Formats: sequence, C-alpha cells, structure tokens
Amino acid sequence: MNCEKCQELISAYVDGDLSKGEARSFRTHLSVCMECSKLAEDFASIVGFCDEAFAEDSIPPNSQALWCRINNIIESEIEETPPVEEETAEEVPHRGFLSGTFSFSPAQAAASVLLIAVVSSLVTIVGYKNFAAPDDSIAGFEAEPSVFEKVLVRLGVAESPADKAQRRLEERKSAIDYWTKRVSKRRVEWDTGTRVTFDRNMDVIDKAVKQYTLLLKEDPQDEISTEMLDSALNEKMELLREFSEL
Amino acid sequence: MTLASYTRKYLKSAATATAFLFALAAFFAVSVTDVEAQRKFSRTYPASKNVRLQLTNRTGTITVRGWDRKTVQITAVLQKPIANLTPRNLSGTIVIDVVRDNKGRNEVGDVNFAVYVPYSSSIDIETRIGNLQVSSIQGGLVRAHISSEGDITLTNIGASSVSAKNVIGDIFYDGVFQPNGIYRFYSMQGNVNLRIPLKSSFKLVATAPSTRSISLGSFSNASMRFVGTGRRVIGKVGSGSATVNVTNQQGSISLLRR
Repeated sequence: MNCEKCQELISAYVDGDLSKGEARSFRTHLSVCMECSKLAEDFASIVGFCDEAFAEDSIPPNSQALWCRINNIIESEIEETPPVEEETAEEVPHRGFLSGTFSFSPAQAAASVLLIAVVSSLVTIVGYKNFAAPDDSIAGFEAEPSVFEKVLVRLGVAESPADKAQRRLEERKSAIDYWTKRVSKRRVEWDTGTRVTFDRNMDVIDKAVKQYTLLLKEDPQDEISTEMLDSALNEKMELLREFSEL
Repeated sequence: MTLASYTRKYLKSAATATAFLFALAAFFAVSVTDVEAQRKFSRTYPASKNVRLQLTNRTGTITVRGWDRKTVQITAVLQKPIANLTPRNLSGTIVIDVVRDNKGRNEVGDVNFAVYVPYSSSIDIETRIGNLQVSSIQGGLVRAHISSEGDITLTNIGASSVSAKNVIGDIFYDGVFQPNGIYRFYSMQGNVNLRIPLKSSFKLVATAPSTRSISLGSFSNASMRFVGTGRRVIGKVGSGSATVNVTNQQGSISLLRR
C-alpha cells in the first residue's frame, strides 16, 4: 500500500469500515510510514474528541428536568420585571435599536458589525491562504505579498515567507531522514550498477544543497538560493523515496 | 600414395571436420544464450483518440511515438533477469508499472520499451534510470520524469501541459507552446535546450543559478530582465499566454528558434 492509498483509507479505518484484509494492509503500512501513522493518529484523536463532545452535548443528564428549570427561570424573570415606565431622553440617552435588553448605540453597533466583517474576512483569507493555495506553485510566478497580507504577517495571523520557508525546510529534512533509513536498508540488495548510479546522483544533489546552504549563510534573504535549496532538498527526497521502492 | 599418407590425410580432414563441428556448436550455443538473455514482449490494444499511457520503468529506455491509428502497440525487450510485466487497460488508461510488478525482487534486467500511441494521446512516463524519448504527440499532457540519470528528448510535441525532469542528463524539447499551456523543465545537471517557433507566446522564468548560462537567442526582447545577479531571467514573449518555467541547477539553458 502506498501513502496516497493509505491516506484515502484513514477515515474508513477509524470508522471501522475496512475489510479485515484492507485493515491489515493499512496497519502494515502504518508500521513503516511515520507520516501516515502520525496522520492516522491525529485523525483518530480528532474523531474521538468530536464523539466525546457530541455525546456530552447531545444527551443532557435529565432533559425533562432541564426544561423545567429553564421554564422556571423564564417565568420568574417575567414576574420580577418591573412595569415599564415612560422614559425620557435625559434618563436614557439613547435606546438600543434591537430591543429593550440591548443598549448599543448605532456607533457601537456599526463598530461591532465592522469588527465581525473584519474578523470573518481575516479568517476566510487566512484559511484560503493556508489550505487552498497550491503548495508547489511554479517558481518565479508567485505574486508579491499584498499590503493586506503583510499586515496579517505583522499581526501574527499569517506565516511570514521566512517562517514558511523554515517550516518547509524542517519538513523536508525530517522526510529525508526517514527515507534515508529506508534506502540504507534496501541498498544492500541492489546490484552494483544501481548503487553506483544512485550514489552519483545523490552526490550531485548534495553538492547543490551544500552550495545553497553556504550561499544562504552569507545572505539569508537570497530568494533564489532559498528556492533552489528547497527544490534540491525536494529532489533528494524524491530520489530517496523512488529508490527505496526498488 | 602410401597407406601412411592416406592415414595422415584422413586424420587431417577428420580433425578439420571436428574443429568445424565444434565451432558450429559453439556458435549455436552463443546464439541460444543471446536469445535466452533477453525476451521480447509485444501487445496491442484498441484505443480511443484520447487514450492515456502511464508507464513506470525501473531501468531501461522508453520510446513513445505518435501514429495515425486507433491502437496502442507496446513492444518491450527484456534483459535478464527478466522483469515481470503486466500491462492493464483501465478505462482508457494503459498502465504499465515495472516497479510495482517487480517489488521485492533484488535484480531485474533492463526493460527497453517502444510504444506507438495515437497522436492525441496523453503520455505519462517515468523511469528510475534510463533515457526517455517522446515524439509526435499532440494530446493534453506529456510528462517525462527520470528519478536519477538519463536524457529526455521530446520532439514534435503539441501538448498543452509538458513536464520533463531528471537529475543528471540533457533535456531537449522541440515543439510548440500552446496558448494557456504550462511547460516545466527541470534538471540538476545537464543542458536544457528548447526549440520552439519564433511566433511563440509565453511568460518565461528561466533559472540557471550555478552557470548563469541562459541563452535567449531570437527570443531576447526588452521585457526580458536578468535578476539575482544573472541567475534568473524573467520576461514575456508575445502576449505571454503560455507559462514556461525552466530550472537547471548546474547547467545551461538555451532557447532555439524552430
């Protein structure tokens, strides 16, 4: 089973919908793939949490008693409400426009509406940026961050390009460590030609990684070197992953 | 003639005949070994015009050519140790995966494929080691990836999405850039040459960080600008409808007029 197939089956596995054979194959893959294993663990914990929360919320301990209490509270509040007196402009400077229980001024209401609009826009944009944008956009065609995006970064709501690059770098390195271990187990079985070819190609990639790492030490803001390092590490990961299948 | 001379003559001719027979036997033995060292595989599938070929090889060459027939013809020469090969026709996609079919086998010989497909097919081929050649394909997609080393040669291509990638080796593209098409060429070490019509229209990002050798030839114009101390060229040719991204980490990039 490959990672793609495994990740498709995570949901069905957590729900117990897989056949015995599929479940066995799924577990075998999890035992050798850290990435999928972690994903399955996360997914299971989310589903578990949701189930617990839903169970607590949906079935109150005694629903009839709860409704009785709510009714009592409402009735007591109605009884205790003093008769409404005619209000003058001096007593209440401005009454809320919704009902007597609210006392927002139009300015406050407008500010609230504006705040809600801004927050929901922020959430939408951040969500879109984080989840909808393709990760492997074509190098060089990426648009410059807009002023709004820069503000989001300043506010700490969105990831800065440097943080994003650093996160990607860390992800790549941990994936490379994983695949290196897989390859070191497999390579003893390869024929000499395959081993020699693999090493030659790995040398070329490692040289590039070293070169860009040095360049970035001199100039950490060098975008082309950052991009090339990222792409060389990606190549390394791909080479390791594809040869680990042999 | 004496008896002794007869005997000598007879023995001499017998020795010659024996030697001849041995030589003949040895020749046939070698021929048989040669035949056994490789096996030929051949299969033909009826195909629609928009068939997709998805071929993953371990080691060996893949040659794909477009032709004016509604069939896909696959021929493979398998070197010893003979690889398992089980092509599948999955609702319009012909899938051959030598890597998957031979998983767990330590030694598998080269498999050299020659495939003929309808012109308008989509091609998705990859190999771990070996050369890839695709010619006369006008379908939606041409993807040719080599995990490690080998040359990629794409000629007479009219696909709207092309991706060619290797680690060590040359990439040669000879074809057109379709409006709104996406073209991506990536090599770690080798030469990347793109031969396209002069009237092509595309946005270009070409990056050669080590050599800084980016030759635009006839496509050089005022909109092209070198950035990052000459390591990258960004610009537009014509209205810039296609998107072209070329990266060669340790080699040169050349645009040639077709």
